[in-house]
Amino acid sequence: MCRRPMLSLLLAFILLITQVGCWSSKEVEELSIYTGLALDKGELTPLEQNLEKKGSRYFKKNKITASVQIVPKKSSGSTEQQGGGGQGPNYVNIAATGDSLLEIFRQLSLRLDRPVIGHHLKVMVVATDLAKEQTMQQLMDFVLRDNDIRPSCLVFLSKDRAASTLVTKYEDEVPSIHILYMLRNHFRTSKVMRGVNLSELDGLMHSKKSYILQNITESDGELEFSGAGIIKGDTGHWIGTLGQQDVESIGWITGDVKGGAVKTYDKRNEAITYEIKSVKSKITTKVTEGNDISFHVKIESKGRLIENWDDKADPTETRNMKEAEKEFEEQVTRRVKSVMHKLQSEYKVDVAGFGDHLHIEKPQVWKKVKDDWDYKFSKIPVTFDIKLSITDLGSSAE
Amino acid sequence: MFRRSDDKITTKQAAVFLTNTVLGAGILTLPRGVTEKVQTPDAWLSVLLGGCIVILVVWLMVKLSQQFPENTVYQYSRRIVGTIPGGFLSVLLIIYFLIIAGFEIRVLAEVTMFFLLEGTPIWAIVIPFIWVGSYLVFGGINPIARLYQIVLPISLFFLLLCFVFSLRIFEIDHLRPVLSEGILPVIKGLKSTILVFSGCEVVMTLVAFLQYPEKALKAMVVGISIPLILYFLTVVMVIGGLSMDSTVTSTWPTINLMRSFEIPGFLFERLEFPLLVIWMMQMFCNFCSFFFNASLGVSQVFGLKYRYAIFGLIPIIFISTMTPVRMMEVFSLGDAIGYMGIVIFVLVPVLLSIVFIIRKKGMKQNV
Repeated sequence: MCRRPMLSLLLAFILLITQVGCWSSKEVEELSIYTGLALDKGELTPLEQNLEKKGSRYFKKNKITASVQIVPKKSSGSTEQQGGGGQGPNYVNIAATGDSLLEIFRQLSLRLDRPVIGHHLKVMVVATDLAKEQTMQQLMDFVLRDNDIRPSCLVFLSKDRAASTLVTKYEDEVPSIHILYMLRNHFRTSKVMRGVNLSELDGLMHSKKSYILQNITESDGELEFSGAGIIKGDTGHWIGTLGQQDVESIGWITGDVKGGAVKTYDKRNEAITYEIKSVKSKITTKVTEGNDISFHVKIESKGRLIENWDDKADPTETRNMKEAEKEFEEQVTRRVKSVMHKLQSEYKVDVAGFGDHLHIEKPQVWKKVKDDWDYKFSKIPVTFDIKLSITDLGSSAE
Repeated sequence: MFRRSDDKITTKQAAVFLTNTVLGAGILTLPRGVTEKVQTPDAWLSVLLGGCIVILVVWLMVKLSQQFPENTVYQYSRRIVGTIPGGFLSVLLIIYFLIIAGFEIRVLAEVTMFFLLEGTPIWAIVIPFIWVGSYLVFGGINPIARLYQIVLPISLFFLLLCFVFSLRIFEIDHLRPVLSEGILPVIKGLKSTILVFSGCEVVMTLVAFLQYPEKALKAMVVGISIPLILYFLTVVMVIGGLSMDSTVTSTWPTINLMRSFEIPGFLFERLEFPLLVIWMMQMFCNFCSFFFNASLGVSQVFGLKYRYAIFGLIPIIFISTMTPVRMMEVFSLGDAIGYMGIVIFVLVPVLLSIVFIIRKKGMKQNV
């Protein structure tokens, strides 16, 4: 090489010009990064109606309205904005209507100065009325295929318009990120479900199992996780909702409770509250000779008596403590039975994982019943054995 | 400097060489391939069983090669079955290596274009890859083996690191029930697990380069066991993390596993990018092994100079890379390679061994 200085110089030069950058790099400031996506039943936004009146049309059937949440609204001018005293929200929601998600996204390019990019999509909200019309498989197809959108994106449902869940009244907050962080509260109450991400959803859809997704409601710029929507496995459609308490009770059945409270009223109708420290649940399957399946759920929980409004009862007395335990047990049993009634009689779906237990414990039996499992499940007797023990009374000894 | 001119590699290097040859694109697609066939979460059993079969195959190849010290398969096949049939078998083997080399680059290019370098034309990934590869292959087996010794620990470390982090979405229930439908699905899965070990035919040239040929068996068994363990881990982690249903529907299940979680606050929030970048080096090693073996074959079969063989093969590899048009064709090429591997195995080591034993024991000939 040293003998041919010209050649090595040339090589070095070629290396130099090829190493300066990426082939098709795009500056992050020049992209519209969206973190939230809401899917609604196709309904033209006022802006779109106006545009259409002025002749902006292309051939479509308006099946779906997609709203993307783009953050930050203005990345290059963010410092100036801060100097101006933070006017307006930190994000912009932009909605468009069409039939295919990708087409809608590309159509957005007609209105945006920077192309949208899905690398940071964290949260998707699907309106239940849309999920009633279209299957989840259809709605998720694009996001599962796309190379930008990561399967770590979480999926939620909304009974109202999904686009409204991507709005907040707090100025420096981004609603989609807010939703993402709200999930952390799972350890505070199991009314907050463990988030279901796209790859989990993909598995659920492929296995044709019924499942639930957390429901989000919005009022006056505030969001709340409120219960869950049920998606029926074999159709992929939304069929109904479970309340907050039902979601918590499903947590008790599956043993997925990290914390929370059980409040009940004692015999003098005063509130007493139990703080959950741990919940263990064990589902056992029984199959008789005649192939009759039954489940038995044994739930054990430990916790403390954290609030006692009844000043007549002294909880330090073992008798009173036992009584309180009984009352809590009754309360939990009532809740669990109520959700079982909903699942077995009202909706006829198994979303509490009984099928998985049968599959793992008795694969041969499962093979026979799996085709019409949701219906068969609704006829299967489930018994409960719920045991709560109060281990301490907190820092107040009375 | 440690400049070796005798073209010999140590036992350790040989093991690393074999590992790097076998461990490649399979990591990215194996979980789907095997689960599709098995249809129960027992895919990991298929991998273990398939690996054991491959170890037996490797044992046969080593035993055969040890009969001809210092000779590669291209040389001893002629001595066993005669110049023309031996040459024919060698050419088959060379074509096989060329197809795998092309396939590996193609898979690498497809993954990189999809996840990392969107918008970069495929030739801009493939051509530099082949060039850099030829530069390495130019030096013969010693530089190759030394590079492998550097690359393998790095890529292993990253792969294992990624798996450790993927534990956060791992659920043991995804891997249950075990053997729910008996052993039959596991046997069905063998087909696709044996396929990921295709390329272990390089054993038949590798033994000739060993400094201590008597340790060949140990080196080769270690060399094939490392990929076996890693493939096993991959299948367990991917199915445990994604569930069987989600694994079957992903084009690149291992990458999808990494894309299914984020680690805020860690050096990398998203592990698929470092994994892909590191795995690119692994695929490079993979490719170089096949390139080296093919060039060596061409030079030994046709009596060409080794360097000319390399230059001659560059365009052929490029063509073999670019031939499949659709992604589906790339995957079916992958399957086809597996079947070719089985045919090659029957034609080369098995046939040669039988003829060798007949000639040696039956006809008392001196081969």
